[in-house]
Amino acid sequence: MSSMTMRRPSLSESPPVRRGVSVGRIVKYLAIALALFWSLAPVYWMLATSFKTELEATRIDPTLIPVHPTLANYVGLGGQSLPFFAFFVNSVISCLATAIIAVVIATPAAYALSRARFRLRGMVSYSVLLFRMLPLVVMLAPLYLLLLNAQLLDSLAGLVVGFTTFGLPFAVWMMKSFIDAVPIEVEEAARVDGYPRWQILLRVVTPLILPGLLTTGTFVFMEAWNNLIYPLTFMTTMDKQTLPAALVLTFTGQFKTDWGGMMAASTVTTVPLMIAFFAVQRSMVRGLTSGAVAGA
Amino acid sequence: MTTAVGERSTKTTLARKNAERVPWIDWMVLPTVVVLAVVIGYPVVYTLVLSATKYNMLDMLPPRYIGGGNYAHLLGDPIFWTSLRNTAVYTFGSVIVSSLLGLALALLTESLTGWRFRSVRALLLTPWAVPFVVVAFLFRYMYLQNGGVINAVLLDLGLIDKPVLWLNNSFLALPAIMVANIWAMMPFFFLLLSAALAAIPTEVIESARIDKAGTWSMVFDIKLPFLKSELFVSSLLMIISNFNDFAKIWAMTQGGPGYSTTTLVVYVYRLAFENFNFGYASAIGVVWLVLLLVFALVYLRAARVKV
Repeated sequence: MSSMTMRRPSLSESPPVRRGVSVGRIVKYLAIALALFWSLAPVYWMLATSFKTELEATRIDPTLIPVHPTLANYVGLGGQSLPFFAFFVNSVISCLATAIIAVVIATPAAYALSRARFRLRGMVSYSVLLFRMLPLVVMLAPLYLLLLNAQLLDSLAGLVVGFTTFGLPFAVWMMKSFIDAVPIEVEEAARVDGYPRWQILLRVVTPLILPGLLTTGTFVFMEAWNNLIYPLTFMTTMDKQTLPAALVLTFTGQFKTDWGGMMAASTVTTVPLMIAFFAVQRSMVRGLTSGAVAGA
Repeated sequence: MTTAVGERSTKTTLARKNAERVPWIDWMVLPTVVVLAVVIGYPVVYTLVLSATKYNMLDMLPPRYIGGGNYAHLLGDPIFWTSLRNTAVYTFGSVIVSSLLGLALALLTESLTGWRFRSVRALLLTPWAVPFVVVAFLFRYMYLQNGGVINAVLLDLGLIDKPVLWLNNSFLALPAIMVANIWAMMPFFFLLLSAALAAIPTEVIESARIDKAGTWSMVFDIKLPFLKSELFVSSLLMIISNFNDFAKIWAMTQGGPGYSTTTLVVYVYRLAFENFNFGYASAIGVVWLVLLLVFALVYLRAARVKV
């Protein structure tokens, strides 16, 4: 009987709405609330601490809201012995350069891998995927010696070379999935209209993959921003350090007890990444998933 | 041969139509191939060469060929085995827990719609945008013995009687870093699995509903099979990135106390850039590379069978 009545609603009709409050719903919303707390509490804690005085930041009974909110920690970043602004600029320049270079080199390759037919296509696709899996640290010693011989150690250019080892394979692999998603008919239509191939690439394909370019670039930027091992290894002059490496290197000194200052520095390190991340959040799922399946 | 047939059926027909004798399209891979050959190919080959030498930068001597000497040493090196074990625990523990949590969250938030879903999703994704080094310092701060919020809350709740030294305890340090890692990684699984859930054809869900599938059977019999390939692929990506994870561990414990949080990355880094023992560090790198490749091949094969 019940199965008969259940079969009656049509497919377009919305699922039966349960009235009142069921236990399942309460549990569900509690779980979501808990997840939100888990995700946001540490970030809140970072922000709150960055406005606390040094003394308040390490109280045995921590205060939820800064009692005497102060901007001193942020002001301190600009005016102290350590050139935080320089670290910030170093990070931005090296990560941005890596992102741009990786996308510019990777996009033609991704296009060729997606569209053209040549004997080595499978092999190149596979190697790109394998390169993506290489442990960075395996290449650390030879890369160090390579940069040493090229006199690129302790320079942002050398750092960009290092970042390229993971940025480029990633960019190829992600761009390929964005290009795969562009219907080939669009290009064929343009060819029928008599446009030369290079114009089709510039005027038809490029605008269509622009979101993909931005997303891929942002991801490479984020990976580079997150990277610690290369700047720590390749940079020897403190003024040339990137922000994350500078945080680690200065921790033992300046920030040993100054957690307020540390959290202010952390906030400054986080903001650019957060802006970049939320700017491309929507289109990144496609680049991450379809590429992975196609690449495998 | 079989691959050629397989390819022909799917993409090559399109590709062939498209290529139409424009050879320079093929050559567009050249810049990538050249750059990768320099920044990856050369270092990997050089690592292989170095791994057969005794080469310490501090000795001021050129590399000296010692054949398999480094590899023999490695077999009897307890720190190598400890770091291998730590790497496995850290990687698989973090990936398994965060993928399950991400899956649960994706399922829980599935019924939310409109602005509610968008805002909950954006908020849940926040940890993804926090740089690894910041994650490390943030958790290090929260784990503090005196003034750390985690100890303070646990004390208030009466769950512990005195502050716990989370990162200075050789049993707790690795799990404590893993918690930070899981915090940072869960959004990735949540986002990808949410997208995969949304991509399940509505007809499938509708017909299951008509057949009066219960909540659990809906999840396990209907939805999970659709998510399987997504889970496989996203887990592989995260396994790779966790094998490589240096920032969180280095910024939280530098591999200590003792060697309790020393993973292979940390060990190789120390050997190469604290002892400048490039030869031995390279040998470990090579072994690790082989292990990783074997793992990736097995994993990809298993994934393809099941997809």
